[in-house]
Amino acid sequence: MDKKRVVIVDDSDFSVLIIKDILEKNGFEVVGRAGTLDEVISVVSETKPDLVTMDITLPGTDGFECTKEIHKIDKGIKVIAVSSMLDDEMLQKAKNFNISGYVQKPIDEEEFILAVKRVLDDEELFKHFQSLYLPIFKEAFSDALNRMTKTIATYKGERLSNETIQSKGIAVVVGIIGKYSGRMILDMSVESATALTDRMLKKESSKQTEIIAAIGEFANIVSGNACSMLNRENKVFGLRVSPPSVFYGKSLNISSAKIKTYSVTIDTEFGEMILNIGFSRGDFEWM
Amino acid sequence: MDVKYAAPFLAAFQNVLPQIGFQIINQGEVIIKGKNLRTDGILIIVGLVGDLKGNVVYSMSMDDAKKIASKMMMGMPVDEFGEMAQSALSELANMLTANASTEFSKENVSMSISTPTLMYGKDITTKLSTENILCAEVGLDDGISVEINISIE
Repeated sequence: MDKKRVVIVDDSDFSVLIIKDILEKNGFEVVGRAGTLDEVISVVSETKPDLVTMDITLPGTDGFECTKEIHKIDKGIKVIAVSSMLDDEMLQKAKNFNISGYVQKPIDEEEFILAVKRVLDDEELFKHFQSLYLPIFKEAFSDALNRMTKTIATYKGERLSNETIQSKGIAVVVGIIGKYSGRMILDMSVESATALTDRMLKKESSKQTEIIAAIGEFANIVSGNACSMLNRENKVFGLRVSPPSVFYGKSLNISSAKIKTYSVTIDTEFGEMILNIGFSRGDFEWM
Repeated sequence: MDVKYAAPFLAAFQNVLPQIGFQIINQGEVIIKGKNLRTDGILIIVGLVGDLKGNVVYSMSMDDAKKIASKMMMGMPVDEFGEMAQSALSELANMLTANASTEFSKENVSMSISTPTLMYGKDITTKLSTENILCAEVGLDDGISVEINISIE
């Protein structure tokens, strides 16, 4: 893997020397340093590092203000606070400013490197998670459909976007909470929902209340099973689902404005369905 | 469902909305609804998991949604309910629910929240997982009205 690139923000030459030394000894590349807000903005814009180590007390500014500016340049740049001050209020403030970790000076090499790795691995873990969850949700959908209706699902196409989805008629929303927070939506036409329910209940012309309950439960099973499978992959995910909510109407649009979501088109015996899933990074896990 | 569950959500309006420039925050009575909800306009749903499990749905008319989005975007006019406005409203639901969860934690009830899902349209019917739903209307500046629906199992 490429060396991770780090910018050190500190106004003390002594601290910069120590941090630089530790980072380089441990396989990181120090690509710049800054001691004032202007320097932070120019160095970070130029070098686009993976990580910034941030002193909190700086001349004419502070580590929080600098972090805010860094995240204006690129939200993906991780910031670790390195400061002699450490108390609850500072920690809370650091969290509020999306600082990913906190190390107290004088720096203990082992503790510092652990914090750096945790923050950067976190990024790797999310990438891993993103490549993992879609196939698992599809597997869970196929399993549930097969077990409950003895039919097979065919996946036609999938795309990652934040475009608005126009509902076919009924949408079931399940919130997902854990290491990452997200949501799953199962969308289908009223006709598909009716046919699916009839098959699951082994009868004809199910009532509206039965249909709503049945597809709510179906979505609950798909999301619950998928999250269990993901948790087995890595228990750090710790995913849990909120109860399903069912929405229906003639003109129902589902926005994905805040997060990019995967939409998968599924062919079933009961008609076409859409499975839509998305996650955001959510809160950082603190040491 | 216990009516006391509404208090943290209503407190969140008082805590969060002044930060985005609202001065009037009049909370209506909390009522218990047994039927499905009907909405013309927008709905934002946030899932809750922890010591309590459920969902909260914020709903409002399209016009009021635009007015709120405009206020959140420093008064920028919002004629169309586009991506920016949708994102702003989702963020508001996120802030309100996160704040409510902090209020719950003061009562030693710990809860995490899901990503908000925003939907809009006409004549939308909502069926939440509980039989009864706690519902309260909050009146804001410029005659804006936001309905909050709480479903906790």
